[in-house]
Amino acid sequence: MSVVVLDNEAVQALVDPQHAKHSRVLAHLESAVARRKRGDLARVVVPCAARVEAGWDRSAPTRSAIKRFRVTDVALDSRQGNVAADIVNRERVSVADAHVGAAVTVNDWRGAVILTSDPQDMRRVCSPIPVTPIRV
Amino acid sequence: MTAVEVLDRLNALLDADEDATSNTSMRLPTALRDAAALAVGELGLAPSTTALTAAALRAALETAVMRAALDEHYQQHPDARPSLAEVALALAEQTGSPLAQHPAALASATEQLLARHPDADAHDALLWAEAQSLMSA
Repeated sequence: MSVVVLDNEAVQALVDPQHAKHSRVLAHLESAVARRKRGDLARVVVPCAARVEAGWDRSAPTRSAIKRFRVTDVALDSRQGNVAADIVNRERVSVADAHVGAAVTVNDWRGAVILTSDPQDMRRVCSPIPVTPIRV
Repeated sequence: MTAVEVLDRLNALLDADEDATSNTSMRLPTALRDAAALAVGELGLAPSTTALTAAALRAALETAVMRAALDEHYQQHPDARPSLAEVALALAEQTGSPLAQHPAALASATEQLLARHPDADAHDALLWAEAQSLMSA
């Protein structure tokens, strides 16, 4: 099973149809669905700190269908919190980026696709886990 | 129920605690049931036929919700739909295809493919573009 991780900007682009990169993120969701139909059960996930930074409150009332696409929250629990804190100290990145790194590291998501505005940062925060960051 | 209400209900059910279980009277073809039991017992496909059935059902339902959410979104925002070439490019990027570095070639191949096969999908487009790339190498 493969994983597609959304960072802060990918979330912003996903939930806002007016965002310049909205269709680009949708193309990646379409790709994930296409892979599932071929037996690769790609999951789309969002680390909660990235969702917070993007300002996506999933409990807010909305008629938006795209907010019903199955995107799994990755909670910032104690273990991931410790790893994220270490990443912040080591790489001087935002809490949201550090949580992406912690989620990938703790879950050992080797080869995870990360939709991001900064592929280089994503490689740093996920190191030494190899990932596939894609600029949106 | 509206499409959005159906999606909400499906998501709630798929996210619910799986500890609560029910016996069902679902009728399966006997041969399919026997094949599942054999695959579980001899190939280790899943811990049990129940687990195999539940996992397959969950995967199908989650994919259906994803597809339905996208389709409903395009109803709400028709201009948001990415082209097949854009989806093929995303697929190339996600799967590490060299064509991810050649979006123009991929777009051109996709256009050719759609002229003959209007129902082609992103996998078809990527395969056609890769074949063209090999032919021209």
